[in-house]
Amino acid sequence: MRADHPQSHNPKSLSSACDPLWRRRDWILGLVSMSTLAAGCRGYQYGHIVKPGAQDLVGSHEAGSEVFHPLVDESVAKLLSRQEEQCHVGPDGNPQKKTICFVCVENKMSEDIGDFKDQLYEQIDSKILESDVFRPISRRMVDAALHETRLRPDSLMVPDNMHLFTSVLQRQGAPIDYLLYAKLTSGTTQRNTSKQRDYLLTLELTNVHSGEYSKESAEIRKGYHKTALGGIWNYNPLK
Amino acid sequence: MTPQTIGVACCLCICLLSGIGCSTHAKRISLSRSLFYEGQLEACRDRLEKLHKSHRHDRDVTNLDLAVVDLLEGRCKDAESRLKDVRDRFDHLEQESISEKTISMWTDDTVLSYAGEDYEKILIRVYLALANLMHEGIDAESYTLQIQDKHDAVMQRLWGEKPADEKSNKFCGLPIGFYLRGMLREQTHVDYDDALRSYTQVAQLLPTCDPIRWDIERVTQGVHSQPGCGVIYVFAMVGRGPCKTESVEQPTSDALLIADRIVSAVGPYKLPPTIAPIKVPKVVVPDSDIDSVQVAVDRQPIGSTVSIADIDQLALETSQAARNQLIARAVARRVIKKATVATVKQQTSSNSLTSLGFDAAGVAWEALEKADTRCWGLLPRNIQVLRIEAPAGTHSISIAPEHFGQTGRPTAHEQVTVVDGRNTYIIGWFPDTFTAPRILTSTH
Repeated sequence: MRADHPQSHNPKSLSSACDPLWRRRDWILGLVSMSTLAAGCRGYQYGHIVKPGAQDLVGSHEAGSEVFHPLVDESVAKLLSRQEEQCHVGPDGNPQKKTICFVCVENKMSEDIGDFKDQLYEQIDSKILESDVFRPISRRMVDAALHETRLRPDSLMVPDNMHLFTSVLQRQGAPIDYLLYAKLTSGTTQRNTSKQRDYLLTLELTNVHSGEYSKESAEIRKGYHKTALGGIWNYNPLK
Repeated sequence: MTPQTIGVACCLCICLLSGIGCSTHAKRISLSRSLFYEGQLEACRDRLEKLHKSHRHDRDVTNLDLAVVDLLEGRCKDAESRLKDVRDRFDHLEQESISEKTISMWTDDTVLSYAGEDYEKILIRVYLALANLMHEGIDAESYTLQIQDKHDAVMQRLWGEKPADEKSNKFCGLPIGFYLRGMLREQTHVDYDDALRSYTQVAQLLPTCDPIRWDIERVTQGVHSQPGCGVIYVFAMVGRGPCKTESVEQPTSDALLIADRIVSAVGPYKLPPTIAPIKVPKVVVPDSDIDSVQVAVDRQPIGSTVSIADIDQLALETSQAARNQLIARAVARRVIKKATVATVKQQTSSNSLTSLGFDAAGVAWEALEKADTRCWGLLPRNIQVLRIEAPAGTHSISIAPEHFGQTGRPTAHEQVTVVDGRNTYIIGWFPDTFTAPRILTSTH
């Protein structure tokens, strides 16, 4: 019986063959399944160039470009403007440049800055090099002097160490007037699931001849939240 | 038999045939592993290359095994290139493919592209760093950052925001990434703060490890090395690492059997009997007869290596964490297969003989399932390290495995050149006390 009239026992298949409604439903089902499969396919990774002036990405868990770049810009600008005021004018009428040794960037934050550290060094060093106030010595010379003397960067303020370090640089043909340290620090305030972290970049300049020092710093405060509304809830301007 | 029945039967046959003849990866790789541990690297390479060509789905894991062989033979650039390929591919495969998952529900997990276990993803980057250190060391720092990123991502995914707790038997991570970063930052003679941060993270993961405390003390108050001295780092790959075998999940099979009975009792469906057990991969770690490695410089015993990467423990913990999901998928697959056979039987309104045939086909279909035993098969049980400060110049290094404090044979000897203020690296393979160790020294 079934062999003779297979469709007579299966009204659904009959209707699917003839009924336009069923046919439409099949199409919809097909499209849905196709789109599901397509959505589940693995995609490629893409990249794009961020245009100059475009906003940086804001890190969701840690500080990134959005914090470090403004910190560098502000702190270096402050340092240069302060030093420009104190700059001596040479006999030729031009300001006398001070030789500076940018020792290192110290990270004292609660976050690891990973690959940003070397970039921060280069950014600060480049800005100082571009200025009319300082004449920095090459980082490679600084590294070589530290390597040769086996001195820790944080131990250079000990008079004997400083003397040894400056004499090695002098022997390399790079006598220095100032030592510069950049230090990153952070302070964290926790409020339930939200937290605020204050990032501070301090540039500390020490005169190797007199021991006088000056400091300039820049600060950025950043909030981290578990929900998208956390920022509005915790920093509501109407409160 | 109607054309519809024939069609369905053909579909079932195709499904059955698709699984026939497939041995598991564990069986295919066993010979290569044996050759590797017997020290027959050329034969091992040939065998792995054959597998690489013949089994498309095994390509990434055979590439990883080939990278280990390359590294052992001193072809560090080739090893790095292979590892980079697999790293990028595993990153790509982290996106799920629903089409693949759907197909796997009708066959088994071996049809899925292998995206790597969490511990393998971290270790690929570790091996990349080590391979790079052995020939030029330019990208090693980048790789150490990648290890940390991957490590953090894995920790985040496995345990969420909660910190790893040593008391709760939770996955506590691999300290080697932090150690390598600390080691490289210390070598700059400038970034002692970075080194301190990295060693502190290692100390949190290895609270009872004395050498790490010495490292922390050194980067806090001391220097990388005294003037006129350099540092030798000995990395020892000790023991035979984890591998996957096929295991039968008996409790799940029993539970499914009871579920079958209930469904058959209350509904009109006649399900195929649950005879074939549920097969899942299981991580096993062979016993090791080596505890550590004793190092002597110019015949003066210096000390023993300490573990900074317990790969066996990590593999067991991560596989345990993923086990529930694995079993759930195996059960879902079984249910889908049973439902398919039941639906076909109902649709075709088959007589008892045909029904029996469908049941038999259903049982065979289930029995052909294979556990996905693909894994990086040539890893060591753990990676150990020893730091030695030595005067600049050429030194003779002797390395011998230790078991219960007794130095065993065979001992490996190597000439090493130490550079003033720089690091020199040695990698040694010690699978067991019977196999001759292989030693590799950095060339830059």
